[in-house]
Amino acid sequence: MLCNRLIMSVFILVILAAAASVSVAGEPTEDVRKTTDRIIAIVTDPGLKEADKAQEKSRQIRNVVDERFDWEEMSKRTLARNWKDRTEEEKKEFIDLFGKLLERTYLDKVEGYSGEKVLYVDEKMQGNYAIVAVKIVTKQETEIQVDYRLQKKGKEWLVYDISIEGVSLVNNYRKQFGSIMTRSSFKDLIEKLKSKVEEES
Amino acid sequence: MARFHPFQKRSLFVVTPVRCLVCFVFLISFFGTSCLAEEGNAPSGAILPDSAFAATETEGHEFIRLAYSESQAPQAGPIDDDSRTAPNQKGDPDDDAIDADPWEDDAQSMDSIPDPLEPVNRAFFVFNDKAYFWFFKPVATGYKSVVPEVGRICIRNFFTNLIMPIRAISCLLQGKFEGFGIELTRCVVNTTVGFLGFQDVARQALDFQIQDEDLGQVLAYYGIGPGFYLNLPFLGASTLRDTTGWVGELYLNPLDYMVDDFWPNVGFRSFDILNKTSMRIGEYEALKKASVDPYVAMRDAYYQYRLNQIEK
Repeated sequence: MLCNRLIMSVFILVILAAAASVSVAGEPTEDVRKTTDRIIAIVTDPGLKEADKAQEKSRQIRNVVDERFDWEEMSKRTLARNWKDRTEEEKKEFIDLFGKLLERTYLDKVEGYSGEKVLYVDEKMQGNYAIVAVKIVTKQETEIQVDYRLQKKGKEWLVYDISIEGVSLVNNYRKQFGSIMTRSSFKDLIEKLKSKVEEES
Repeated sequence: MARFHPFQKRSLFVVTPVRCLVCFVFLISFFGTSCLAEEGNAPSGAILPDSAFAATETEGHEFIRLAYSESQAPQAGPIDDDSRTAPNQKGDPDDDAIDADPWEDDAQSMDSIPDPLEPVNRAFFVFNDKAYFWFFKPVATGYKSVVPEVGRICIRNFFTNLIMPIRAISCLLQGKFEGFGIELTRCVVNTTVGFLGFQDVARQALDFQIQDEDLGQVLAYYGIGPGFYLNLPFLGASTLRDTTGWVGELYLNPLDYMVDDFWPNVGFRSFDILNKTSMRIGEYEALKKASVDPYVAMRDAYYQYRLNQIEK
């Protein structure tokens, strides 16, 4: 009797869970999903598994990521009040370096992909802005909460910040860069970024 | 066999100095918080919700308010920001303008945690870095190659189930009765059906998630601010408040009542830590590789992570 009831409740729970995961899928979520699916396809592509294809693989991932990530917006938000004082060249150089650093960080994360499940949990939209909440379930059964923050530019929704377990990437870099710039200068920051990007990239 | 006596002479011996430490840290924490709150001209002293506390800090300290964070005015919900985002929709020509996003309240801020002990913290950060690369990582890697992942997950589940009282009581103290119930049920189900907690049946079958609560969050719930940042040797990133919570948790850990001989107790704890470390190899390396100043990166990540946990 009790056993029956337990099975019933489990059954209902499963159905509810399935229903919940279907219900949210707006434009921003679709955009994030598209990119994620393409990346997973590249990472799991058996044709790109060999060691000599590593370069080709990361090139392909980079292409997909570049389309979805708004490096300029990220740079702006990271430098925050320091952004205005920069010359055009400085901005360009910064976007380039910071973009590379972020790209590599992201690539490192993605290349370690080994069958984690990606669940699209929630979506919030407000004018041009959206947050897409994603849950990543690892093989070790831990859940990682990832939020993509997107801004609509033209037709596409572009990512300008990612937070993992509530830790915003842009916020984190802003603190680091801020601390460097109060201690020394923008030049020093650029130097540090350069050496970071060059190191074993 | 009769080892289940919490008030044996022996355990009291261990417990008394720890108790003194708790009181001491508690006092400092309280003192520190009220001082900081005063500096920020907080109206109601130390008793402020955590987010409000963080906001008042920005006024008193070197934290710089950003041009675009004006919208962080109290209770500026997404709706209030409509007026700010509206002009951008017309394709604002000013490239330099950094548009405030409607969720300004929980990101894009310069708030951070006071770090008066930075030189000491940085020293311990270097110490921990070396300790990790020279000792913990090699040992955990060796362990990882011997024990298969399934086994390590079971062991992790066992220890997680064991410290249920910490989570349950933290839920209770925050008035999260549902969480309290979930934790109790989880413990009963996992300890019986899940073979002493080695299997997390409650989550797999009933979708009863682990309630991620601890005493640090309880203190935050009662309005105690983080105090200041601490980077402790071996333990890593923490704050005055969270360290206080951690010390309090030593009382709630059933392990100390079940195994009260010193060395076996240390053995169990080390094993737990070793097992956990083996599952987290690579995380610290990733943080280090991605950051320009790993110390600041860690400090801020901890700060943001805790805020997120406290909000939940």
